[in-house]
Amino acid sequence: MKVLVTGATSLLGRHVTGLLLARGDDVTTFQRGESGLATREVRADIRDLDALLAAAKGRDAVIHVAALVAPRPRWEDAFAINVGGTRHARLAAETCGRFVHISSPSVAFDGRGHIGQGTKPASYTGSDRYTRSKALAEQLVLDQPRVPTVVIRPHLVWGPSDTQLVGRIIERAKKGQLRLPNHGVALIDTTYITDAAAAIVAGLDAANESSPAINRAWTVTGNDPRPLAELVNGILQAAGISSPVKHIDGKLALSVGALIQKVWWGDEPPLTRFAAQQLSLAHTFDQRDTQVALQWMPTVSTQEGLRRLHAVLPLAK
Amino acid sequence: MTVLRPSDDQLTRFGLNPAWSRQVTFEGADGEPVTWNILDTGHGDQGTIVCVHGNPTWSYLWRNLSRDLSPQWRVIAVDQTGMGFSQRGPRRTLAQRITELVTFCETEVNGPLILAAHDWGGAIALGATPSLPVTRLILSNTAVGLPDGVAMPPLIGIARTFVGLVCRWTLGFVQGTALMTEREHRRALRAPYRGWRRRRAVADFVADIPIHPRDVSYDALRQVADSLKSSDTPALLVWGGRDVVFHDGFLTDLESRLSHVDVERLADCAHLAPLDKHFSNIVQRWLDTDITPRPAISDAPLAHPIYSVIDDHVDDPSPVFIDSHGALSWQQLASRRAVAARALRARGIGPGDRVAILVKPSGNLLVTVAALWAVGAVPVVADSTGGIRQLRNLLRAAAPVAVIGTSRTLLIDRLCRLTTRTTRLCIYGRHSITRGPALARDQFVALTENQLAAIVHTSGSTGPAKAVTYTHGALVAQRDLFDSWLPRDKGGAFTTSFAPFMLLAPALERLCLLPAIPFDKPERMTMSHLETLSRHAPLEVAWFSPAAARNLVATSSGRRVPLAHTFLAGAAIDSELAASLAELTGGSVAAPYGMTECLPVSDGVNVVADTRGGTATGRPLPGCSVVIAPLDDPPGRCVDGEWGEILVSAPWMFSEYRNHWLENATSTITREGQRFHRTGDVGYLSEGELFYLGRRIHVITTSSGPVASVAVEEAIRRDTSLITAAVGVGPTGTQVVVVVVAGHGKLQLATADVAAAARAASPVPLAAVLTGEFPVDHRHHSKIDRVLLARQSEELLLGR
Repeated sequence: MKVLVTGATSLLGRHVTGLLLARGDDVTTFQRGESGLATREVRADIRDLDALLAAAKGRDAVIHVAALVAPRPRWEDAFAINVGGTRHARLAAETCGRFVHISSPSVAFDGRGHIGQGTKPASYTGSDRYTRSKALAEQLVLDQPRVPTVVIRPHLVWGPSDTQLVGRIIERAKKGQLRLPNHGVALIDTTYITDAAAAIVAGLDAANESSPAINRAWTVTGNDPRPLAELVNGILQAAGISSPVKHIDGKLALSVGALIQKVWWGDEPPLTRFAAQQLSLAHTFDQRDTQVALQWMPTVSTQEGLRRLHAVLPLAK
Repeated sequence: MTVLRPSDDQLTRFGLNPAWSRQVTFEGADGEPVTWNILDTGHGDQGTIVCVHGNPTWSYLWRNLSRDLSPQWRVIAVDQTGMGFSQRGPRRTLAQRITELVTFCETEVNGPLILAAHDWGGAIALGATPSLPVTRLILSNTAVGLPDGVAMPPLIGIARTFVGLVCRWTLGFVQGTALMTEREHRRALRAPYRGWRRRRAVADFVADIPIHPRDVSYDALRQVADSLKSSDTPALLVWGGRDVVFHDGFLTDLESRLSHVDVERLADCAHLAPLDKHFSNIVQRWLDTDITPRPAISDAPLAHPIYSVIDDHVDDPSPVFIDSHGALSWQQLASRRAVAARALRARGIGPGDRVAILVKPSGNLLVTVAALWAVGAVPVVADSTGGIRQLRNLLRAAAPVAVIGTSRTLLIDRLCRLTTRTTRLCIYGRHSITRGPALARDQFVALTENQLAAIVHTSGSTGPAKAVTYTHGALVAQRDLFDSWLPRDKGGAFTTSFAPFMLLAPALERLCLLPAIPFDKPERMTMSHLETLSRHAPLEVAWFSPAAARNLVATSSGRRVPLAHTFLAGAAIDSELAASLAELTGGSVAAPYGMTECLPVSDGVNVVADTRGGTATGRPLPGCSVVIAPLDDPPGRCVDGEWGEILVSAPWMFSEYRNHWLENATSTITREGQRFHRTGDVGYLSEGELFYLGRRIHVITTSSGPVASVAVEEAIRRDTSLITAAVGVGPTGTQVVVVVVAGHGKLQLATADVAAAARAASPVPLAAVLTGEFPVDHRHHSKIDRVLLARQSEELLLGR
C-alpha cells in the first residue's frame, strides 16, 4: 500500500513508518524536520494544505500522527495545528481512500476515574488546551466520513527514546521534583510503543468498507495496568535512579494544579489541574471489542517493556 | 354513573403504556351494565393472566408484571366495580364481585387462564376459580379467612370500626396503603381515589370484610375456603414478609389449604408484593417451570431416630454434657426430656410445629431439642451473630408457633419483638417446662424419614441468610456417617467451638464438653480451655472453626493435649495450620469440605496440594456424589482436572430453602434421577480428590477467561507463604486481578518487594498488589468477604 504518514519525527510516527516499511509498504512521510528515516519525505508544515494535498497525491491512505503535544500550548497554536491540521489531513485522505487518525483517550475524560471503561465519544470541553483541541479534531474526523476512517486512541505510549512520559519522569526525578498524588495508587493502563504502532497499522488494514472497525474511535492499551507508583518506580529503576518518589495529597495536588494553571505564564508549568487529575485517577480500558475489531493484540507486557527500557536506557550515575 | 378515564399522560407518567388501557362493558352482578377500566397487553400465545387487585389499590398494582413478563403471556389487570378508574356503582358484596370476575373472564378470555390476585382480590379470585378453566394461581398477601388462633389484624379492626372516617371521608386508608411501598408508586396508587365521592367502594369493601357469622359475606367466604379443599390448581404465593395486615400467619394458613403451593417470601417487602422489583422475575420463572405432581415418597418410620440412643441410658448417671456451669447426666437428659415433652404437648405443640429456640449452648439446649423431637416438633435454630435485626428477620420468616428460652432471652424476644403471635416457654427457673409430670415413652411421636426435623440458617456471609430445612432421615444419615467414621469405642469425649455441633454429641453417644468461650467468638478458644476440658475426660473428637484452630496453635506455647480426631469446618484452611494442629493433638486433623446445606461432602484427609492450585479437601465421602459442572452449562460435566461449579448430592443433604421457591429452583439440578445441590462453589476433581477454588461469585472474569481466586492465593502461598486474597476489579468480563496481602489497617499499596514476590508466584498477571486488613464473616471469623474486599480495592485503585 502507498501510505502518507504525517508527524513522522514523533516517537509514534517513527515506529509506524518503520513498521510499514518493514512489511514492504511504500511510505511517504510529511513533517517539518528531518525524519532520518530511509524513505521519501516531504518537509512542510501541517498547516500548509496545498503541500499536504500534493504529498497525498497518488497515495492509498493517510495516517495522521502529527499533533502539537505540550502541557500548555497557546490555544491559537493548538487549534491551528491539532484541529486545522486534522482538517487538512482529512481533506487529503479523501483524495486517497483511507484515513487513520491518531487521537487520545483523554478526549473522553470526564473528570472521574474508570476501570475497564469502554470507548466513549470525544466530549472533553475542559481547561486542558491540548485535550480540547484533540477532542474537536476527533469530532471533525468522525463527522460523516467520506472515506473509510479509523480513529486510534493509544493510551499513554511509552518506550525507549520516549521524551514525553519516560523522559519527563526521569527528568523530574533527577531534579527531585517528582511527586505522586495519593501515593500513586491509581490504576493506569499504558501502551508500549511497538504495540501502539502495531495497533495503528492494524487500524490502517481495518480502514476498508467491510470492516466493523471503521468510522469510530478505538482506545488501545497494553491491557496490563499497574498502579502509577509501580510504573514510575519501574521506570526509575530501569534508568538506575534510586531517589525515593515523594508524595502529595490528591486533593492538594488538584488545588495546587488549579492555582499554577491560573498564575503560570510559561508553556511548561510544573503541574496543571488536568495533569493532577490524570495522575490521581484510574484509567484502564475494556479492550475486548477493540482487539476483535482491529484484529490486533498487544505483545509486550508492562514487565517486558520495563526490561527493554532497562536494556536501552543509559544508567544514571 | 360516569366512568372516569385515566388520561394518556397520566398513564405514561405512571409507567403504563396508554395503549393497554381500554374499557369493557358487561352485565354486572345486579343485572345492570357495568363498565370496567382494564390494562390489557393484548397479546400472548401461551395464555392470559387476569390480575385482580385488592382494596384500596387498582390495576396499577400489576404494572411490573404487565411490563416485564415475556410477550408470550397476555396480561389483563382489571379495576373492579367502583374501584380504580372503573364505573362507580352500588355496593358490591363478595359474592357479587366473584360473579362479575367470572363474567368478565368468560367474555374476555379464550384459552388457558391464570388468575393473579392480591389482598382481598385473593378471596374473589379463589371464589371465581371453580367456575373458570383456571390452570394456575398467583397469590400475594391474601387470605380466605382468619387462621385458627389468629386475631384479626388491629389495622383492619380500626378501619372497620371507623370505616367512614378512615376509608371515605379522608384519604387515610388509601394513603396508609400507599405508604407500604416505595415512594415512586404512591402518587399512582392514590390517583383514582382523590375526592371522597370516588372512595365509596373503598369503604364498602372494608365494611364487607366478613368477621362475624352475621356479616353479609360470611357464608360466601366460607364457601370459598371450602372450595379449596377439592381444588388441585397449582399456586404460587409471592409473599411480602413485612406485612402487618396479611402477616405470615396467613401465609401458613393458605399453605395448609392449597394442595400444590410454591412459596417465595420476600423478607424486605411489605403488603404490596406485586410492586416488588423481583415480582415479575419470580412469576416469569414459575410460569416457565413445568408443574410436576409431587411424587408420593414412601415415608418410612425410622428405626433409630437421631436421639434414640437416649432411651438406652435412662438410668445412666454418667454425664452427657459438661460446661463451666455444671454437668447433665444421661438420666437427667432423659427425664427432663419426658417432662418438657409433656409440657409442650399440653400447650398443643405437636408434629410439624415450628418452635424457635432462644437457648444458648448448654445442657438445657440439649433437653429442649430432645423434647421437641419427642413430640415431633421442629426446632428453629438461628444464631445472633448476624445482629438482632437479622435474628428477627430469620425468626419471623420461620413463623414459629412457640419460642423456648430463658427468662432473659424471652424478655429480649418480647422487647425486641423477635417473634410475634407465639407462645413463650421457659426452660429455666421456677416456670421451667422441665418441672412437672412426665410424658410416657410410648406417647412420644414416632419419627419418619421425610418428617421435617430442623430449620437452620446459612451464615449470610456468602449471600443473604437463608432458612435451610432438614428431615429426620437426613439427620439420621449424618449421624450414621459419623458413627462409621469414628472409632467404635465411645469412651472419649466430644468438644466443639461451634455450638450447634454440640447437638451431634448425644446422637453419637459421646460426652460433650463445651469450652467456656462466648459461642459467637470461636477465635477466643485457647489451649488452656482445651486443657481444662481434658481434665473432665479424655478428649477424642473435636469440631473447630479455623479461627479457633488458629488461636489454639497460637496459644499452645509448647503444651499438648491428646485429641484423636479433629475436624475443621467453616472455611478453607491451609495445610500448615492442619499440620501444626496435628502436632499439638497427636491425632488426625481433617478439614472436610461442606456447607450448611450439606455437611460434610469430602473426608478432608489432607493430601499434597495439586500444582494447579486450590485447597485440597480429600475424597468425597462414601454415599456422597460430587459432580463438577461447567460454569455456563450446569447440566454438563467437566472432565478430571477441569474446574467448574461443585454439585453435591448426599443422603444427609438439606431438603430445601424454606419459602424460597426461586432459590430452590435455581440451586437444584436433577441428574439421572438424583437431586443435586449447586453449591455456588468452584473447584475440580483430580484422580478422585476434590479441590476447592473458592466461591463462584469470587471467580474473576478477565478478558482472557475466568480465574478462580483460590488458585491464585494458593500458588502465592506455596511459593512465598504470604496469606493473600485475590479479587477481581472492574466490569465483569474485563476484570483485572488484584491480590491483597493480609496486613493491618486500611488498604494501601504493598511494598515493592512484596509486590514483586507475589507477582513472581502468581499464575496470572496481577494488576496491583495491595495490603490491609481483611473483612471477615461474623459466624466463623474465618471467611474473607471477598465481595467487600473487591469493592474496597476498586475504590482505592480508582483514585480520588
